[in-house]
Amino acid sequence: MSAKPDAIQNCLWPACLVGLLFPSVLSLECGLLNVHLNRVTWQNLRILNKMSDSFPVECLTENKDFELPQKILSYTQPMNRDIMEAFYEMFSQVFNIFSRHAFKSAWEEKHLKQIQIGLDQQIEYLERCLEEEEKENEDTKQMEEISYSGAREPLLSNLELRRYFNRIGNFLKDKKYSHCAWEIVRLEIRKCFYYLQTFTMLLRRK
Amino acid sequence: MDNWIKLPGCQYITSTECNFSSVELNVFEEVRLRIRAEKGNKTSQWSMVDWFIPFRKAQIGPPKVHLEPEDKAIIINISPPGTRESHMWAMDSSRFTYSLVIWKNSSGIVDKRTETVYPTDKIYKLSPETTYCLKVRARLRSQRKTGLFTPVYCINTTVENKLPPPENLEVDAKNQTYILKWDYTYEDMTFQAQWFHAFLKNIPENHSDKWKQIPGCENVKTTQCVFPQKMFPNGIYYLRVQASNGNNTSLWSEEKKFDTEMQTIIPPPVISMTPINDLLHIYIGAPKDTENKFMNQHYPLIYEINFWKNTSNAEFRILHKKTDFFIPNLQPLTVYCVKARTLIEDKKWNKSSVFSDIVCEKTRPGNTSITWIIAGICAALFAIPLAIYIGKGLLRCINYIFFPSCKPPPSIEEHFSKWSLKNLLLSTSEEQTERCFIIENMNTLTIVEETNQIDEDHRKYSSQTSQDSGNYSNEDENSGGDVSEEVLLQEIM
Repeated sequence: MSAKPDAIQNCLWPACLVGLLFPSVLSLECGLLNVHLNRVTWQNLRILNKMSDSFPVECLTENKDFELPQKILSYTQPMNRDIMEAFYEMFSQVFNIFSRHAFKSAWEEKHLKQIQIGLDQQIEYLERCLEEEEKENEDTKQMEEISYSGAREPLLSNLELRRYFNRIGNFLKDKKYSHCAWEIVRLEIRKCFYYLQTFTMLLRRK
Repeated sequence: MDNWIKLPGCQYITSTECNFSSVELNVFEEVRLRIRAEKGNKTSQWSMVDWFIPFRKAQIGPPKVHLEPEDKAIIINISPPGTRESHMWAMDSSRFTYSLVIWKNSSGIVDKRTETVYPTDKIYKLSPETTYCLKVRARLRSQRKTGLFTPVYCINTTVENKLPPPENLEVDAKNQTYILKWDYTYEDMTFQAQWFHAFLKNIPENHSDKWKQIPGCENVKTTQCVFPQKMFPNGIYYLRVQASNGNNTSLWSEEKKFDTEMQTIIPPPVISMTPINDLLHIYIGAPKDTENKFMNQHYPLIYEINFWKNTSNAEFRILHKKTDFFIPNLQPLTVYCVKARTLIEDKKWNKSSVFSDIVCEKTRPGNTSITWIIAGICAALFAIPLAIYIGKGLLRCINYIFFPSCKPPPSIEEHFSKWSLKNLLLSTSEEQTERCFIIENMNTLTIVEETNQIDEDHRKYSSQTSQDSGNYSNEDENSGGDVSEEVLLQEIM
């Protein structure tokens, strides 16, 4: 009576385990990246909100549309190199804004530090995953370099991002890093993060 | 297209080359140039230069490097490529990664070591009193650009310090505290530990004064110290330790990178189990997370369940993402034991909780596997109508045997049999002719109509039951007809 179930247990379980485990484990390289990003972006959003109580009304007249290039993340694939690079570029540029000029802002040192820590963490994770990918692709890359005889061009979207952050940087410079200018930039970066947040949420659902 | 602007630095020049780096261009936008030759009043046609984006064209130059030797390490400070005024790399000053090639001067460049370094960093694992040579180049990851190497710098490491630095720094998380541990060769030493924000390493400045003491890790006599977790909000930090014996102080240890995220402890799950036949229904309670509630919200968790028969050592392992599932195909009336642990679905982290408490439970009797249950249900579905049918037949028989319809006396029966024969004949042949009677004679009509009615009833019954019963019912119109009709109707239903 028990011979049959026993046979199933003995033969099927290992087979099931092999079948179930390996595909999932092998595809987990940096698989949690969007989970990390989602989490830290959320944290950063909260800090950005905490930095100021509300947007000062007197700054409304100075408001400017920086034209966030929303198309760059309208990809439907999961986290791939291009998206990672775009994220990396974004966080790097925001970090740049908050570390190069922010001492001229009226924000609390504590909040500024928190956001720098958060951004640094995100950049670090992205860097690690990009590096990992680079190592994996080392051989194929070498072959590519031989056949195309030159460095691969980055995506055009990266350039669009640069233009966007350049507009933000120039705006701050033109307004002489005034309080209003910083408030406007804070709102803009919040918008940008919010956009990333929804994007990573969508990626997670896939 | 006629808003061409004169390019400063490139007017009235006699050579075939000019430098316009002083022009404040938006380096991320396309630039179009045209050029013509002039002599006196005469000019040539404009010659168009292909459009380009300066940032894309730009080559990353070598960074500037400042070195400071220790006995077994070199402190390196790197200034990013470009000048403060140039805006080509203005947005990247904190995002260059530097790749360093270092080799012993005596052994030559063949025996080189390549490392990725931060703008402020330390190169470890060197020998004292040795000349090392190195070169550095910058890289911009997001742009897939690699810069040019600096010239080669050579530097001598110092005489070995009397006291070695502490080694093998490690951080463990326990309850609400972090424990920093390290190794040291000598006893009776005092140690002090410091921390530093990791993000500062990316900002090219001198940060040597930004290291801070860790409270609870000042002048400790042990090779470990404890500090509260809330001292370090979520982020990446560096830690370092120094040893001292009163007279001499060691150099700082290697800087230990410390990511609070990676320190999170996953608590074990809580299992509860109920046997259902030869299945075990397992329910896993989510790990109770102390304080930081990152667990279920953010991380995809997997549960590893190990189970075994109480009497044998053979363990089976299954992985589940759900917290509610069955272990099938178990032996009945056998005690099975189960333990589980939580894993974070990430290969690199390799994070898991400790195993939960072992829970044992005896399976119920009955080898009813799911297929058996299904088969049973199917059989039951067929059996029920069959049973009803048989039951009804049986009831009918019983009714005939024990509660027969009132039988007419034999004398009438004889008479009746004639009637029935006649009736039978009537039912088939007379029916067609009955309308003829109606037209001819009114008196016969009423009679025939009556018999006809009886006959109709008779036909109704006879069509459903045997000839005999038909006869009875026909004959016993007045006495037992009601009973038999009821029985028959029941049957039809």
